[in-house]
Amino acid sequence: MSMLSYQHFPIYAIMLYFLGAFLIVLFGKNKIARHCLALLSVTGSLALLVSLVPRVMTGGEIITYWMGNRAYSGGYAIGIALEVDALSLFFALLVAVAVFVSGVYSIRYMEHDDNIPQYYTLFLMLAGGVMGLVLSGDLFNMFIMVEILTFAAVALTAFRNTARGALEAAFKYLVVGSIGSTCILAGTIMLYAQVHTLNFAQLSGLIPGHIHGATRVAFALLFVGFSTKAFLVPFHPLAADAHGAAPASVSVLISGVLTKSGIYGIIRLVYFLFQTMNLRPIQFMLVFVGSVSMFVCVTMALAQHDFKRLLAFHSISQIGYVLTAVGLSTALGISAGLYHAMNHTIFKGLLFLAAGAVLHETGTTDLDRLGGLSKRMPHTTVLFLIGAASISGIPPFNGFASKWLIYQAAYLRAVETGNIGYLLVTIIALVTSTLTLASFVKVSQSVFFGRLPDEFKDVKEVPFGMRLAMSLFAILCVLTGLLPELVTKVLTGPAAQAVLNPVRYIAAARGIEVPAETAALPQAVGAWSPINWLLLLGISLFAITLVALLGKYDRVSENASGEKIPAKYDLFFSGEKSVYSQVGGGDLFWGFKHNWRHYFSFMHDLHSGVVNDYALWAVVALALAIAFLQIVL
Amino acid sequence: MFTPAFFTTALLYLGYILIFPGFLFCFVVGLLLCGIDRKAVARMQKRVGPPILQPFYDFFKLCGKETIVPAAASRTTFMLAPLVGLAALVVIQLFIPVFNFRVFRNLPEVADMIVILYLLLIPAVSVMLGGAATGSPYAGIGLSREMVTVLAVELPLVMVLLSVAKAVGNELGTGLVFSLSGVVDYQAAHGSLIGHVSMIPAALAMLLIIPGETGNHPFDAAEAETEICEGLLAEYSGAPLGIYKLSHAVKMLTLTSLFVALFLGGIGTGVEHLVAAIGLTGGVAAALSLILQVLILVLLCIVLTLVTISFVHAVTARLKIEQLFKYYWTVVTGLALISLVLAWYGF
Amino acid sequence: MFKKLIEESTGKSPWLFHINAGSCNGCDIELVSVLTPRYDAERLGFKLSGTPRHADIVVVTGPVTQQSLNRVLRTIEQVPEPRCIVTMGSCPQSGNVFRGSYAIAGPLSKYVHVDVDVAGCTPKPEAVIDGLVKATEILREKRRAMK
Repeated sequence: MSMLSYQHFPIYAIMLYFLGAFLIVLFGKNKIARHCLALLSVTGSLALLVSLVPRVMTGGEIITYWMGNRAYSGGYAIGIALEVDALSLFFALLVAVAVFVSGVYSIRYMEHDDNIPQYYTLFLMLAGGVMGLVLSGDLFNMFIMVEILTFAAVALTAFRNTARGALEAAFKYLVVGSIGSTCILAGTIMLYAQVHTLNFAQLSGLIPGHIHGATRVAFALLFVGFSTKAFLVPFHPLAADAHGAAPASVSVLISGVLTKSGIYGIIRLVYFLFQTMNLRPIQFMLVFVGSVSMFVCVTMALAQHDFKRLLAFHSISQIGYVLTAVGLSTALGISAGLYHAMNHTIFKGLLFLAAGAVLHETGTTDLDRLGGLSKRMPHTTVLFLIGAASISGIPPFNGFASKWLIYQAAYLRAVETGNIGYLLVTIIALVTSTLTLASFVKVSQSVFFGRLPDEFKDVKEVPFGMRLAMSLFAILCVLTGLLPELVTKVLTGPAAQAVLNPVRYIAAARGIEVPAETAALPQAVGAWSPINWLLLLGISLFAITLVALLGKYDRVSENASGEKIPAKYDLFFSGEKSVYSQVGGGDLFWGFKHNWRHYFSFMHDLHSGVVNDYALWAVVALALAIAFLQIVL
Repeated sequence: MFTPAFFTTALLYLGYILIFPGFLFCFVVGLLLCGIDRKAVARMQKRVGPPILQPFYDFFKLCGKETIVPAAASRTTFMLAPLVGLAALVVIQLFIPVFNFRVFRNLPEVADMIVILYLLLIPAVSVMLGGAATGSPYAGIGLSREMVTVLAVELPLVMVLLSVAKAVGNELGTGLVFSLSGVVDYQAAHGSLIGHVSMIPAALAMLLIIPGETGNHPFDAAEAETEICEGLLAEYSGAPLGIYKLSHAVKMLTLTSLFVALFLGGIGTGVEHLVAAIGLTGGVAAALSLILQVLILVLLCIVLTLVTISFVHAVTARLKIEQLFKYYWTVVTGLALISLVLAWYGF
Repeated sequence: MFKKLIEESTGKSPWLFHINAGSCNGCDIELVSVLTPRYDAERLGFKLSGTPRHADIVVVTGPVTQQSLNRVLRTIEQVPEPRCIVTMGSCPQSGNVFRGSYAIAGPLSKYVHVDVDVAGCTPKPEAVIDGLVKATEILREKRRAMK
């Protein structure tokens, strides 16, 4: 095996990040060296993984890599393994893309901060941690990577430690994140005690013979541990604090990458390690937790006054969609869930970057203080609107493509099983999407449209580097929305097949090649061809615009830019000279909130912001998970 | 690729988009529905009322007015939002079958019911963004109310669509039918869905959803002209305002014809036999039956407009926004839920 | 032809915006009665709009007090062209019984060009409708004069 053969690529992809991190410690004082190193490692890693796509995704190959060539021997896997199937590569690609764009964005975004070398070191450590986690082939390595990424994330959360609440957020994250990590470690130990191995493939071969109380507890521990990494309910308050405090480029990683590591862990756990467990209660657990996360977090987001906290809650709401879809256990459901996971990384990355752009220029993300920025930051506004339309599931952007598959998967599942619970899930998913739209309409109104406050009169558009990064995400948003068939065929379909055929993964670790099943790609029942729709919309928009222009639609009177606005161009303010006045972001939908006031006040009381409470929730969640699994399995 | 056949097809589809059932059809029938509504409300209030063509006058007058872009507004969004909203509505109209007539007869279907549900959000979003872009505080309140109205209507509408999908799926034994043409095809063969016990509550719910979706009285809290100066449209004037008024009219057509497609799809499908019975064949017969079907559709749309929009307008007073929300999430959702449960258990 | 269509329509679809410039409320009520079933001005296309941006005809009632002057002028400015200004009742034309008061800035014609005056305290609905119809004629003329 030569040093350049593709089997080495996964380890190189991980090492490039860590190498970059350590080299930046050494040479990071120099600005150019620092940027070169960071860009090199993020680009190199992305390129390596992309080059694996034809082999692993379409070719169906599973790459097994044993560190130091200490391969599987004598019935036990002793060495450290990397095992890359379509699922791993899928998540690794998400990580690499998000890290790449966020790295490009960081160059201009972080230029006014202190300690930039440390920032890049931590940034790359976080990236490497997640990359290692998704490519790893054994449970203990996964735990190590979880530790690395958790501590990098905690440090990055507190990176702007002069900002209000940053240290507090980091502390909360540290406490609950450690509980999660401990759960994972404890679960790993319990499994090891049962079956004396840590290799995934071997574990999933041996666990079926060892299903009893201790294994179930181990499962619950691991599940709760990975849930904290994905910030699922009840761990969602952490995410809000962490995102609120962290720099936007880090938020992209936390929401786009770190939460995915939790989802990845849960998928590996449910569909690989414990594949032979009775699936129905676990499905119930996944769908239940997913739907609750979906709904609770979207309502929490509606009540927020801060741009980034709002985005944080939406992040979890979308993760709820992913988990629900994955929990459906059908090919369509899993592929829809993975599709949504990918879209979530893209559009949420875009939205966080847009929030970062606003913060960069105005110094605040308070929805009640901002307004009218579209006149000063037109490009950011367009990019934000693309992201907002994507997350709200407005056709033809990517969020719609995946949500549409999720609705169908859920409803089909409901009809197939005759279980009315899935019907409820479908309805919750559909309504949550509209609630998401509501809060992004709120952000549009409170930040980008509406009235420009005087204090932000001289705001400028963000530098080109930051717009470039946002544009990359925006282009991906459009592309993945317009080409759902291609995405399903190349990315999510193979990954879903990998999830549903764990046998190949298990065999590959022993060096046995099981031929790929040529199972049909998941088919949707409905019809949606975004390109045709866009074509129709384009033609009719063109026609209408043409007619309108012929009818002198553009003959408008407009105010020449000047300090003093003539009365004619002033806003209608019941005859008064208009002053800045805007409905506060948090109060915008009071017609909705009034009807849900009991719910909202309950939620308000529940989210006390005290870390002790949140730690308690974590323990209660763990206890419930253990009890549930012990009773029903 | 560029053969004569290609150009003929392209021209045909351009005709679909621009004339029928696209832009021109929407323009004429939409404004006509609006005019009939205004006349009917006036007659119900013992007034003479405006001429039926009044919305046309309004539209052309607005085209001739000055368009003032306020200094606080972002010009591009202000000018573009109305056009996008209208274009999106016209495209939705292409996806709604007119009994046997489909635009995409020879092509795979572009959008199913769930997609249409979300496409219907685009006009609402366009009006909200356009209003927000003016920077007016009245628009801010209007936006809040419009969004809550959309939220209120969405839940029952989702349930109505799911129950139709399930009911038709039950009958055909395929589980689920999300395709709108599938629903109409089923009705053409087996009679309209309104005749099914399980679908009657859903149809009622849909009747109540129509005025909410279009923002007509009494669900027009978002545009309340007496309290918040027409809300989102407060700063719009001239041609863009005209486009919004047109969009509102087209939305009435879209929703009523959606109702026809969902619940009354069987009514107009017998006309081919009628045409054949009087001895016509070939192109003439096809053209005649298409014209008859369109006439039936327009008539049904008018009747539905009278029932759901005019009648409700004449007998009610405007609801407050929180009452509106509560009404939709309790009464209308309840109706839709009954249907869903009935369809679920196969009635 | 399109221009002609617009011109015709302009005469048939006049939307009103009502400004109360310190009126005693008599004219305001009378204006509303014009729209009631008995007189039904809507058959001529009249409609009350909520914002000056939508309006074609501005109906001013009241003697234009010092307090309201700037607001009236600002609101009239915000009405897009072509527009007509109709004063209703005697107050905006002459000040009526308030004439000479320190609090009165009127008559309105001192500040803007008034197209139609409907006199009376208060004018009968028939007179109001007549004045409004005259205003629509002027509106049509103004539209014709526009490029």
